[in-house]
Parts: sequence; structure tokens; C-alpha cells
Amino acid sequence: MEFLFSIHLIIRLTGYDLIEWLMDRHALDESEALNLANQLCQYGYFFPVSDSKNLVVKDDSSLYRFQSPYYWPWQNRPPDNVEYAIYLAKRTLRNKQRHGLEDYELEALSNLKKNLANKWDFITMQAEEQVKLAKCLKKGDKIIADSQERAYWRVHRPPPGMVTSLEQCPVPTRSWNGQRTRRKTLEDARREVELLRKSLSRTRIKVSQALESMIQHVETYAEYDPLITSTQPSNPWVSEDVTFWLLNNPLVEVATEKRVKRWGLSMEELVSDPTGLQEFTNYLRKEYSHENIRFWSAVNDLRRSSHSQIPKKVSKIFEEFLAPGAPCEINIDGKTMEKVHQEMKNPSRFTFDAAQEHVYTLLLKKDCYPRFIRSEYYKNLLANGIQPSQKKRFFNFGQTKKKISTTNAPSQNLLQQQVSQGAATCGVLAKRRGSDRSLSGSAHELAVSGVKDPKVPHSHSQSNLSDIPYRVKKSNMGVVAGASTSEEVCPWETGPEPRSRKNSGQSESSSSDISVAVAEISERVQRTNILTQQHTVDGCRKLVVNTAELPRRASVSVPIAYGTDLTTKRKVSSFEDNSSAATSTSSSVFVISSDPDNKTEENICKTLKKSHSIAKTCSVAGTNAPIISVSSVADDLEDEDVEEVKDVPEDPKEIPIEAEPSSSAQQIIEPLAPLAEPDSESPASELPPSEVAVVEDEEAKSNDVCPWEDEETCKVDTPFVKTYATLGYL
Amino acid sequence: MNIKPRRTLKGHQAKVLCSDWSPDKRHIVSSSQDGKMIIWDAFTTNKEHAVTMPTTWVMACAYAPSGNLVACGGLDNKVTVYPLSMEDDVTVKKKTVGTHTSYMSCCTFPNSDQQILTGSGDSTCALWDVESGQLLQSFHGHSADVMAIDLAPSETGNTFVSGSCDKMVLIWDMRSGQCVQSFEGHESDVNSVKFHPSGDAVATGSDDATCRLFDLRADKEVAIYSKESIIFGVNSVDFSVSGRLLFAGYNDYTVNVWDTLKCVRICLLYGHENRVSCLQVSPDGTALSTGSWDYTLRVWA
Repeated sequence: MEFLFSIHLIIRLTGYDLIEWLMDRHALDESEALNLANQLCQYGYFFPVSDSKNLVVKDDSSLYRFQSPYYWPWQNRPPDNVEYAIYLAKRTLRNKQRHGLEDYELEALSNLKKNLANKWDFITMQAEEQVKLAKCLKKGDKIIADSQERAYWRVHRPPPGMVTSLEQCPVPTRSWNGQRTRRKTLEDARREVELLRKSLSRTRIKVSQALESMIQHVETYAEYDPLITSTQPSNPWVSEDVTFWLLNNPLVEVATEKRVKRWGLSMEELVSDPTGLQEFTNYLRKEYSHENIRFWSAVNDLRRSSHSQIPKKVSKIFEEFLAPGAPCEINIDGKTMEKVHQEMKNPSRFTFDAAQEHVYTLLLKKDCYPRFIRSEYYKNLLANGIQPSQKKRFFNFGQTKKKISTTNAPSQNLLQQQVSQGAATCGVLAKRRGSDRSLSGSAHELAVSGVKDPKVPHSHSQSNLSDIPYRVKKSNMGVVAGASTSEEVCPWETGPEPRSRKNSGQSESSSSDISVAVAEISERVQRTNILTQQHTVDGCRKLVVNTAELPRRASVSVPIAYGTDLTTKRKVSSFEDNSSAATSTSSSVFVISSDPDNKTEENICKTLKKSHSIAKTCSVAGTNAPIISVSSVADDLEDEDVEEVKDVPEDPKEIPIEAEPSSSAQQIIEPLAPLAEPDSESPASELPPSEVAVVEDEEAKSNDVCPWEDEETCKVDTPFVKTYATLGYL
Repeated sequence: MNIKPRRTLKGHQAKVLCSDWSPDKRHIVSSSQDGKMIIWDAFTTNKEHAVTMPTTWVMACAYAPSGNLVACGGLDNKVTVYPLSMEDDVTVKKKTVGTHTSYMSCCTFPNSDQQILTGSGDSTCALWDVESGQLLQSFHGHSADVMAIDLAPSETGNTFVSGSCDKMVLIWDMRSGQCVQSFEGHESDVNSVKFHPSGDAVATGSDDATCRLFDLRADKEVAIYSKESIIFGVNSVDFSVSGRLLFAGYNDYTVNVWDTLKCVRICLLYGHENRVSCLQVSPDGTALSTGSWDYTLRVWA
């Protein structure tokens, strides 16, 4: 606070100057300077000239006066009541008008009179003396001295209800001359010597090394820090959406991918996460070597159990893991065993520490853990991990587009080629993207298995969706859609990254365009292009044909702008059975249109109805085709269809025409599809994980379609789930 | 940095002195000068329990790892445990676990519902068995009031750190009760200590208006977080989960956010109208809670 010395000679200055000066002096921004000025004012280093009640600094032309250094709080210890009594008594002796006491001061005075009755003579004498002295001062000096004294007491004896910064915590004893440290005893000295002796022999690493490893740590964990890297799907405190917590409960059925990844950072990360520990144990159990981890957990539990249970637990652990011929005997060397035996004589929480240490470092950390991380088991966990970012991914059009445009252009060409070349190209089409194949392949399988076993063992997002009775129609849809919508809200609300925000904004606008468009044109316009494209390869032809009546299909365009890939996905799975197709389509439509703008409720309803009708048409069509549509559609759609859809309202007439070619294209393709499927399926399963990784790397977070499809290469049942998951997130 | 106030928890009638996050990431327990302890659902800002302690200045409170138990204490020199249940009155099952010879300034559960670690104005720390109230271990070494303790972030961790009015920061072995390392450097009372998430360093906040970082393996102070214009004491510090950010609550009503690696201040959080007495990052790192002498708690994210 020395800097105050330099300026206390200035008698008064404006709040504006004060703030300015602080800003200059300390390179502060305005708010910080204001805060600092207010603090200094609260502590009584300066005070407002005109306002004796409120110790507030305003950044304006109001005047402030510096307190005399004699009154600075760090100069003196806090004043006692005698001083206060003298001050109050002094004021009663002076001009009533200028020095009259406030109510609270009068009250304080009468209280003091009572409490200090024995000293009151001395107090009045002092007060009279001081008044006499004050009379000798010049008038200007007197006013200043009075105001400073008054401000001092304002700080130290504030009016009731005012906070004072000088208020001390009753503890620790921070009184100015109080004994702050207790006296050292012999025992203290002995301990200190011991500590110093130990630190003589301590091995120290270089500071540079220490900092290096700290930087390393921080960088590694930055992506797991919600205050640095935004969380997926959203930070509950920001978005009011608790999905993040639901996905990251201590014990979950399926962990998020990020969480599984984190287990790979270190053994400590793995075992400190209850789900991680559970998975690790499960893995080791499969390998018939879980006694080590169980022993480790048991010893941890022992260390944390209440005192009374220690002997019981110690013997139980010994019986189970260490006694000769124990059911789960662990492997430890003789020396450690000896230690344990010694400790056993006097059982405590730490009896097995040596053995635990041994098991942990030698067996678990050096052997089991690396094996676990390299195992298929872990890779599967990783691959099947939930990716809450899917929600968002969809809205990252900016990036997806880029990506798509590369994959897309060729695919368009392919389509065209196929038109001309026919069957020969179907293989190419299938190869276009490994992920597509995997999706279609798995969806196919699901079509079979999914129907039989509609209960999908997956967490959260599926928990809503897995309830969908696939064969049930309309009535349940509202519920389903509603459930998923509630989850949906966040991506829009949060938009944690500017990029995604922008993107979602785009998509939103387009969607509203669309829904409006739908409301208007729905009945008249042709949808065909979309529909057909969605079903690109096969089945779609039939759809197209069958639905040739289609005035209603226009509504299909709704989902596209928004949900392109999702709807498609949905459809893929939906083909498992006609009615389910109906369900899924319609519900997806509903979700899509409802999320972005709830206002368009009417539209939604319409859409819903319409989608039903589509669904019907689909199902009619579907009967002929036991079908898997090739999912690539999603890509195709995003670029073209969004635009096309936007065009719709402007010239509805044109589109049907446009649509024709594409549908015809598909018609041609269609016969090939059945062939393509087996093709597409088998390579899918062969798809090496490495490729998956590459894809993921490239696309980082923003990838739209492939990552989860890729994962599906690893496991057959999941894709189904994933499909639903994505849908849910929509 | 884009941290904003997200919740304000109003309900205390006096200065909030201490708070702790529940392991469920959304509940908070807080204690205040008038002897009240409140359990909040911070997400909805509802109060779920309010307990009046037979003492003022409840300076410490803590959630147990199970989330079913809270401990608190203060000028009564005692640490008292309250099992939380929705049905019964919380006070019915309260249980006094340990007693110090001076006020209790801080407490925490060391990875277990069955033990409590406390720090006290009698310059000692102590480990208690919850069930029996037995003193399992006491920790002598400070020569003045212990103001803060923190556990090492490890599953099997047997170490903790304490900060005291003797300006020292000590590292303890819980098993032996021995002080294994000591750090000096602060020029005034150490009000707050916190382990870096890596477990290799501790951050401290002090009345000398600085925060410091001491590295255990280098056995040295490796960073100091201070600024000429920051002239008020630090009451509480905590790390973000990666350890990159250090939050520090000051007597000048603000929270400063420091970049631990660059040693520069990233931003200032304004909002409280009196001293920030306690702050803590939530267990999953999604939010920061602050308690203040202005009677409120705030949640920032």
C-alpha cells in the first residue's frame, strides 16, 4: 500500500480521477480499478466528502478525501471503546447542528456511559480537552480533521446493518499484538530436527523436469476439463440439461467414449472410476486372473472401514487371498509374505499395505493393465462408447459439408455411372465408404435380431428409445418423440463452440424454412427426389413406384434438411419391418421438426401426420423388399437436398421434374441392391479398426456420419442402438 | 474463458464460511456464521435440509464420499456427523465424532465414510474413526492454527497437506502421523491448500495476497501467482480438473482465475458483495461454487 503515501498529500479528488489514476498506476481495467477503489474506501484510506453514510466510490465527479495516515487501519490496532466514548462525548460538546449525533450513536453513547461509568470522568475530561485544542486550529484544517475523524469512526463503528471490511473473524487470533504462534516445545524441536534430517537425504528432481511433467499432465487432461474444453453434449449448469450427468454416472452400463479413453491414460484413472474398475475386473475375470484386482479392492476397502471391523476384515482377506490354499490365492514373493505375517500379529488398516503395493505395481500395473488396454475387450469398450457429441455432430454442417463434398462428388458420379452402367457399379457404390457398408450390413442383421429382441442393452439415450414398441404405430409415437426431444434441446441452447453454433443456426433456419414450406406446399409438392434419394439403392425403387401417388410425400422433405443422415439411418433400420418403418420415420420426423422451433407446433402435427402417410407408403413398398438401403444417402442429401428443399417453396413445379431423374436413377440401381448387400456386409466386418481410427482422427469431433458407423464394424448389435441413439439426439 | 454466474443460492442469514460439493455433482453443503448448515440442490437452488448447530461460526463442513453423510464443526471445537435422510429430521441421528482443544477450521473425509480428517486451531490435525469416535492418528508439527487441509488425489493416497498460520505448508503421512515434507515461503497465514490433480504439487492461498505452487518432487516453490494491484488476502483456492486453472477467492470480493502454467491472471469473477470465503470446483469439473460473507453462494460455469 506504499503507493498511497505518494498521493495522500492531495487533499481531495474526484471519483473519476481516482479511478483513472488507479488504472494508470496499475494497468488495470476499469472494473478492477473501481473494485480496488471501493475496497480502499471500505478500509478507510479515503472517503466520500459529501456522503458520510456510504463508503462507496463512484466513477463520476463526486469528491473524495484521503484519510490521514494516522487513521489508516494498518497503522493502529482497532480502537477501543474508551476512544469511541471520547469521540462521541466530544461531539456532544460541540455545535449541535453540525456535530449532532445520529440515533445509533446516541444509543451507543448511553450504553458506553453505563459500561464505562467508572471512567466517565476521565472521558469527559479528555473530550473537553480535545475540543479546546481543536478551537486553536484554522477553520479549514478543522473541517478536514473533523471529517477524517468522522470517517474513521464510520469505518470502525459502522451504523447498524452496514458491513465493514475490518470485521475480523473471531479466529484465528489475529489481533495485532496477539500471540500468533505457540511456543515451541522440546517435542517440536525434535520433530523439526527429524524432518530436516530426512530432507537432507531426499532425492529431488530438477524444477525444469517437474514443470515439464506438470505441463504434460495439464495438456493431457485439458480435454477432460469442462471449464477448458466444452463438454459433450453440454454442461448441465449452462444448458440446464442433465444428459451429461446421466451419461457419466459413477456406474453406467456403457461408458462414454471419452471416459473409456481416459481409462487408457493411466492405471489410476481406470481404478478410480467405479465403472472402469468394474470393466477391468470383468476383463480379468474372463482371463481367470481377477484375484489380484479383487485383493487390491479388498485392501482398499479395509483401509477405509471403521475401526471395529478391522480385525474381522483382516482375517477375511487373509483367508481368501493369502492363506496357503486360499480360494483366490494371490502370488506374492516370500519377503512380502513374511511382512504380511508379521503385520498379521497386530492387525490394522495397514496390515496388507506391502502386499497391496506389490500386487499393484508388479502385477496389476505392469502386467494386467497394459494387457487390458491392448485387449480386444478394451477396444470394444472404446468402440462402443457413447458419443454424446453425435448430437452436435449433426449440426456441424460446416465441416461435414467439406468432408461430404469430397466423398459426395464421387458418389454422385457413381450414381450417374450406375445409371448408365447398371449392375456392374454396385460394388463400387458399396465401396464408396467403408462405413456405409458397415452400417447397412449391421442394420440388416438388426432387422432380424432387432425385431426378435427389441430390448437394446444400452444406456440412457437408448433407454428412451428402446422402449419403442417397434410394431406399434402412431399412438406411442408422441411419447417417444417427446422423450427424445427433451434431450435434444441442448445443442441449440448451448452451442458451446462458435462454429457449431453457427452451423446449428444454419440448419435451424433451413429447418424453419422447411417446415413453413411444408405447411404450405406439403400437399402439392413432390417429395420424390428426397425419398428416393434416401433409399438410394434398393427398395427405393419400389417405394418410388408405389408411392407414385404421393402428394403427401412432400412432407418428407422436412426431415431432410435437418435430419438427413438420421432419417436415413432410421430408415435403414426401419426396413426390418414395415410397421416399424412407419414408426421410426414418423417419430423421427416429429423430433426433427419439433426441436429446433417449438413454435411451429402446427407444422409438427401436420408433419407427423404426413410422415405417417409416408410411412404407410413405405411399408407398402417395403413389403417387397427385405431391404437395406444404402445409407450413403445422408451425404448426398445434405448438400443437395437442403438446397432443394429450400427451393421448394419458390417453385414447387420445378422440383418434381428434377426429382424424376434421381428417382429413375435409383430405379435402375435398385435391382442391384440385393447383390450389393452381401458385398457390403462382408467387407464391413473385415474393416480393420485402424482404418476406423484414421477416419476418426481426420474428422475429430465434427465428423458426422462415419465414426459411429465405423465402430459398428466391431460389434454387430450396436449399430442398431446407435441408429436409435442418433435419432434420439436429433 | 467464458465463466459466468449460473446460480445464486440464497438462504443463509449470516456469512457463509465453508461449502463442499456432494459426490453427486449437484448438491452442496454450506455452513455459516450463525450456526446454520444447509444442504442445497444447487442445480434447482432448493434447500433440502437446514440444520442449526449449537454454536456460531461453523467454519468447516464436508460431504462424505457416499453422499449420505455430512460433517461440520467450528467454534464448538467438535466435529459432528449428520447422516442425511429424506424421512427423518437430520439432527436426530447426529453424532459427535471428535473434539479438539480449539476451534475446528477444516475437515474432510479421506475416501471413506468411516473416517474424518480434521484441522484445528490447536495447531494439530487429527484422523477420527466415525463409528467409535476414536482418535486414529494425530498430526503434530505446526506451531499455529491449522487453517486448511487437503488429501492427495490418489485412490490409495496416504498423504495430505496442511496449511497454517505459522506460514508453513506441511505434507503428512497419514499412516505414520509423520510430517514428510515442509514448504515455506508465504509471508503471512496460509488460508488454503489444494493438491494439484497430478498429486505432484500443492497450491496455497495466503493472507499475503499471493497464491503459490509448491512441487513435491522438486521440493520447491515453483510458481507464485500475484499482482501488484492485488493487495488482499486469499481465502480459498482450487484447481480445475486438469490443473490448468487455479481459482482463488479473495478478501476484495473477487475470484481471480490464474493460468497455472503461465502465471498470469486469466480473468476476474465479480459478483459477491463481501469477502469470498470458500470456493470449490465441482467433482466433475463442470462448475465452480463460491461462498461469501455476503450470505450467498454462487455457482459459476
